[in-house]
Amino acid sequence: MANRTQKIIQNALSRGQSALSEYESKRVLAAYGIPISKELLVTSASQARAAAKKIGYPIVLKACSPNETHKTEKGLVVVNLSNQKELNLAWLSLGKKAGKSYKGAWLVQEMVKGSREIMIGMHRDPGFGPAVMFGLGGIFTEILQDVVFRVAPLRKRDASDMLRGIRAKKILNEIRGLPAANREILTHTLMAVGQIALDHPDIAEIDINPMIIRGAKAVAVDGLIMFSES
Amino acid sequence: MPSIMERFFNPKSVVIVGASGTVGKPGNVVIQNMLDNKYRGEIFLVNPRGGKIGKLPVITSINKLPENIDQAVVTLPADLVPETIRALSKKGVNAIILAASGFAEVDQLGEKRQKELLQVIKETGARVIGPNTTGHISVPSNFTSSFFPLGKVPRGSVSYIAQTGNFCGISIRHLISAENYGIARSCGLGNKADLDECDILEFYGQDDETKSIFMYLESISNPTRFLRVAKRVSRNKPVFLLKGGATEAGAAAALAHTGSLAADGRIVEGAIMQAGVTRLTQYSQLFHVAKALDMMPIPRGNRVSFLSPSGAFTVCMTDVCRSLGLEVPELEDKTCKRLQDFAPPFIRMRNPVDIFGSVGIHGYDVAYKDALEGVLIDRNIDSVVAILMLTTETGIPDLKFIVDLANKYSTKPIYVTFMGEHRHNMASKEFLEASGVPCYLEIERPFEVLSILAKCRQYMRRS
Repeated sequence: MANRTQKIIQNALSRGQSALSEYESKRVLAAYGIPISKELLVTSASQARAAAKKIGYPIVLKACSPNETHKTEKGLVVVNLSNQKELNLAWLSLGKKAGKSYKGAWLVQEMVKGSREIMIGMHRDPGFGPAVMFGLGGIFTEILQDVVFRVAPLRKRDASDMLRGIRAKKILNEIRGLPAANREILTHTLMAVGQIALDHPDIAEIDINPMIIRGAKAVAVDGLIMFSES
Repeated sequence: MPSIMERFFNPKSVVIVGASGTVGKPGNVVIQNMLDNKYRGEIFLVNPRGGKIGKLPVITSINKLPENIDQAVVTLPADLVPETIRALSKKGVNAIILAASGFAEVDQLGEKRQKELLQVIKETGARVIGPNTTGHISVPSNFTSSFFPLGKVPRGSVSYIAQTGNFCGISIRHLISAENYGIARSCGLGNKADLDECDILEFYGQDDETKSIFMYLESISNPTRFLRVAKRVSRNKPVFLLKGGATEAGAAAALAHTGSLAADGRIVEGAIMQAGVTRLTQYSQLFHVAKALDMMPIPRGNRVSFLSPSGAFTVCMTDVCRSLGLEVPELEDKTCKRLQDFAPPFIRMRNPVDIFGSVGIHGYDVAYKDALEGVLIDRNIDSVVAILMLTTETGIPDLKFIVDLANKYSTKPIYVTFMGEHRHNMASKEFLEASGVPCYLEIERPFEVLSILAKCRQYMRRS
């Protein structure tokens, strides 16, 4: 596992990247058994159409490049495309926004639906080492700062403590017709993120935000792995 | 040769370099402190002026000292420190307390001095507490290196590690005069140029005199080692940490104070929990929780019963308990029956125990004694708080019954708090604490302490 992911990371570092692209980041996450959204990397409109067909509408179209770590802020994401016509239009408008200089690829991704968003991350503390983070996802991460940390390696008990450690912990319960979130997936993801950091000292930050709880099961919808400056 | 920690905490002999005959100077206070605490080892004094200080002769130079004195307390200014360590090392003195300030905590020159100090430490193999420390205290050995006037420090089971001089200074005076419990050891870490919190924590961990450990830290020198050591120590002893500089503003103050950069408070919080350490959030908890543990056992869980002659308190303190994560559970049937037998029929006796009616019928001591014993026996209860409401008109009961019950049911903690006439509260507190029953003047305080201890119990099970 570490070998496979080490190759992705080494290649990126040798290309001078300061981060993995979303696609590369998610290969690493998936290699550690973290559930990720179905997605295909494309470079042309016809590839995008084929990918969308394979994944099944509705889909999301995103810019995917290691240099494009703020794609949402730049408007380089269009969600909930429900047919080929919408995809074609989105392809043109995103291409225009990205500009001629954009050298990156595009990601065609399944549209993961769920009303609960969480975040799981890792910050490599200079003293304590990899600190795994859990909190509310999306814009609430920043607004409420409702997050907890534990230092890797995490025991299962540490991971379960984290799920109970945020103020908004009830979000994982059965609530308003939604099923209780599958805690196994979440504890596994927390422990895996810690393990990725332990296995790969080049990684400074991991940011899975949002992880959307679809039904009971959490899926990493966006993922970013950043390297230490050296 | 005794281990380095033995030489620091159980020295058979000590030399004070920079001893002074001038009352109030650090080099004089430290001698007075040793005498006040009835230190029985040999005391050597060094000052180039020679002569005598009190009954003790003053030696003019380190070179004239006998070999292998266990410990040196150096109260000289910063620029004399390196040569002093070299001279002491030649005489086989390797456990050194450095009081001097003017190192990394101040400026660039100080930083340069600290680097030089590290070089000397490396070269001589000396072990150093400080610089910039008020020293340390070791009550079982009647010893202290503190240069803050302490008086006799009472013996107890609590030990402190502090990145401040307060716990070998003013805070000790506070706990002696206001909190009535004792300590085993205390160590002011100063700038941690050499020995740090891990070394002291490791020593406290295997020290039979230390039953619980309280730390005040502004920085953690080696977080990985700290977690490893803390995890091991917290399996057997309650360990608490107040981390100064947890907020951004506090972190700026920490930088000015000890030259340390504060790690993200939330990471520290998570990490220490993993290591079985209980986090404190207020300075006063360093006393309140310590007093509870010096006098009483740690509660088995979070189930509290409390006695109050006021309905408002039964309501309000139940709210306080719930918000602190404490439970106020139903009592066993037999306890309810026992309480009801003492109470007028119009009051339904339950937890929390409204003692008003029973006091009216049987008087303060009889009513409290019976109710207190009832809840102490109750298997649904882990700890008990007695709220006393004393005035001159109600009369002051003989509170010995509380002490007797505390001794009889020694596995369950009893705390006392008050609402009433201050002088009676104070007199009761003095009496009860002298007999080992912790008292808290603010009514919410014992519940806060219990909630911290319930968490501590939980974390200890996990580490």
